[in-house]
Amino acid sequence: MTDKTDSKDIDIARLREHQPRFQGITSGHRACLGCGEALAARLVTEAAGPDVAIANATGCLEIFTTPWPESSWRVPWMHSLFENTGAIAAGMEAAFKMQGKSTKVLAFAGDGGTFDIGFQALSGMIERGHNVLYVCFDNEAYMNTGIQRSSSTPHAAMTTTSPPGKARMGKRHLKKDIISIVAAHHIPYAATASVAYPSDIRKKVRRAMDIEGPTFLVIHSPCPLGWGHEADISIEVARLAVQTGLMPVIELERGEVTGVMPVREPRPVLDYLRPQGRFRHLFADNPKAREELEHIQALADHNIEVYNLRGEIADRMDSEGADTVRRGGMRWA
Amino acid sequence: MTIHYPRGGVAQPGTTLGFKTGTWRVQRPLHLHASAPCHSGCPAGEDPQAYLAKVDEGHMHAAWEALVAANPLPAITGRVCPHPCESACNRSQFDAAVSIHSVERYLGDQAISQDWPYPVTRPHAGAPRVAVVGAGPSGLSAAYHLMRHGLNVTVFTALPEAGGTLHAIPGYRLPTEVLRAEVERLLATGMDFRPNRRLGRDVHVHELRNEFAAVYIAVGTQESKEWSIGGAVPQDLHEGLGILKEWMSIGTVPISNSAAVVGGGNTAIDTARVLLRAGVPEVHLITHNGLPGPETLPEDAMVANPGEIEQAIEEGVQVHAHRGIRRLILRGERVVGVEMLHMKKMRNTQGELERVAFEGTESVLHVEQVIPAIGQVINSAGLETLLSGRPFLEVDHWGQVKGRRGVFAGGDACASKRGTVASAIGDGRRAAEAIARYIQDKAQPEPSAAPGIDFAQLNINYYEHAPAAQPRLLPVVERKGEEEIELGLNSGEIAHEAQRCFSCGNCLACDNCWTLCPDSAVLKTKEVARDGSHYVFDYDFCKGCGLCANECPCGYIIMQEEP
Repeated sequence: MTDKTDSKDIDIARLREHQPRFQGITSGHRACLGCGEALAARLVTEAAGPDVAIANATGCLEIFTTPWPESSWRVPWMHSLFENTGAIAAGMEAAFKMQGKSTKVLAFAGDGGTFDIGFQALSGMIERGHNVLYVCFDNEAYMNTGIQRSSSTPHAAMTTTSPPGKARMGKRHLKKDIISIVAAHHIPYAATASVAYPSDIRKKVRRAMDIEGPTFLVIHSPCPLGWGHEADISIEVARLAVQTGLMPVIELERGEVTGVMPVREPRPVLDYLRPQGRFRHLFADNPKAREELEHIQALADHNIEVYNLRGEIADRMDSEGADTVRRGGMRWA
Repeated sequence: MTIHYPRGGVAQPGTTLGFKTGTWRVQRPLHLHASAPCHSGCPAGEDPQAYLAKVDEGHMHAAWEALVAANPLPAITGRVCPHPCESACNRSQFDAAVSIHSVERYLGDQAISQDWPYPVTRPHAGAPRVAVVGAGPSGLSAAYHLMRHGLNVTVFTALPEAGGTLHAIPGYRLPTEVLRAEVERLLATGMDFRPNRRLGRDVHVHELRNEFAAVYIAVGTQESKEWSIGGAVPQDLHEGLGILKEWMSIGTVPISNSAAVVGGGNTAIDTARVLLRAGVPEVHLITHNGLPGPETLPEDAMVANPGEIEQAIEEGVQVHAHRGIRRLILRGERVVGVEMLHMKKMRNTQGELERVAFEGTESVLHVEQVIPAIGQVINSAGLETLLSGRPFLEVDHWGQVKGRRGVFAGGDACASKRGTVASAIGDGRRAAEAIARYIQDKAQPEPSAAPGIDFAQLNINYYEHAPAAQPRLLPVVERKGEEEIELGLNSGEIAHEAQRCFSCGNCLACDNCWTLCPDSAVLKTKEVARDGSHYVFDYDFCKGCGLCANECPCGYIIMQEEP
């Protein structure tokens, strides 16, 4: 065995300051091992660049990046309440406008702060046309407070407030279709993305940064603790969500679908569900569990149909091409 | 006194850097260079993964140097080797193996046309001298590697020129110009070359042993194996290698109206194809083995290169696979046909492979000539005491002849069954290493192999399907004489093939670990990283989640428990 990472002669701290990328979030944050949200937030901040100010809703991201008196942030950052990120971001944007500054305001929130609690503030922010990129890190439950169901929690998933039992198999209701609801605001740009496809995230953030007006991005971000999978497979789980069709990666402009990431060869939803503890009860030997598995497959098939995810020919930007790597760090996207 | 309470909590930017999350870690990521299957599978010891990486970076000269660090004859092996590297290639489980032999050949040809000097410095005059007997692939390889170890080399061959058995390969597979060019470039590195010196007649092992610090014997196999069917031998017996040598040296061979070649190796295939070219209208090939393919056990497949078998069939050779000859049908002493029957290797009750003949499947093939091409054995002249009755030289892993210190051997002379050019080259390289150690009075180490890496250890999501570039072939109607059939790949196709390499077990510098670490604990040391040493793990902050190891496409990162 050869350990080539012998770092004795490398000044790591100095090297850290000379990375060929913008580091809006530094290390030392307290996110769990393999946190999808920490990665997604870093990728967004990296792509957005230094001329930004962030409004951050209550949630995991806010907690693990700012254990007082420390902060991981290297851009102006403000903690809003759980419910008012949209309003705070709108106020920040208005203030910059008054000062004649072009600093872009970003709003960061989890699915709880977006789909549920902060929804009316988000809706107002979009309706008033504020120049804000609102990013929702969607880990499909209230992870920060102990894995309670949110309106983003997928159907049949187990959370502490949607336990499987005799009456039902995990969450009874469906995942809220937030992207269609946001798109219905006639918003210039709304998109979904997955933390498994960093090049796609980068592209979408840059696209949104260039738009003068409200833009919205949901990033599907696995939570190893809340979803009950190993920390090292966060990316794999996120990728499977895309490859099965359960997480369509799409772009909408003024309410119309203008881009989808085709799935070259859709995988069965079982591949996505099996590694996750929150779906463990679906693998029990009973008719109800089997029915729910079929139900989830049908939801994936529905997405594939509605968004025409099944690409016709191999596409550089499809679920296989979009993460193809090249020597020297070059990717297609 | 007034106390000022801030309206909210404030914190200085980037201050979490003071908190070392590395203390949470129970396992740590490490870079582990594993041997790619092409490397493990190459009998010559080439590391195709290493030179494909250089080609991918556009450094052709450096790629060639990485290649000739193991094999000094790439233009030749790129053409004639059955490329076990490609059979082992992990990419064959994804779409199709990387066309490694095309890249090898391209680099060899570039070196010839651009006259890149071999990475050898002429040993100083007082350095120890080593004798190499035989100037085939094994002898030449040993001589070259001995020089790389700083030793003076004298190469003896019974033939008027260097190349040995390579001269029995027809020009349509290995053009004579290519053979001569590569061998002459190698001789020009400063070997003392002595042609027309036959072992047992002009040179003797015991004399060489006295005159030189060590001797390497690579005389190959020169005598045809004895062949008869139930004691019957045709009156006018020609054997395959003899026919090939005649064709190569004088351009004609004895022909008939129909011939059957017996054997399943490259010599048999070449003999059949040469007979067609010489004007035999009907050429058959009879072999115990099966055609290579999914239906044939690898142990039961013809040993000839699958591509060559395919081309021979295209050209009109009628292959009778899984057939044995039961008897020769003679009129007087003249052959008029053979009686064949079906045969197959099958597992017996002990699980061992056994050749089984099937009664009732006899058939008669009318041919005027039967030509055995079933392999050769060593010519024992001058080697009697070393052979002590065996049909080959007995050597250890390093080529040391058992019980004869300072006498080493390799290539076909040591193989109990016929080897390949690549294994002969590998024998020469290993023996050169061992001879260098022997001369310095160092012990030979135990053979060791680097850990391998299989398909399941790669993260295949990061690769995209891409068809292999197919070398163009000369159309069948134009294959009349010695014109080379496989035309090689152009520079664009070579780049495409290099890019298809998975880089198994070595860093692709793809940035995945650097991009995907949630804790920014992977740092990049240069803007454009080209090698594993360009990423370092910052163990102050690495929490040990294992994401980087799981998402490394090449299987270059492993997780190890913290002590």
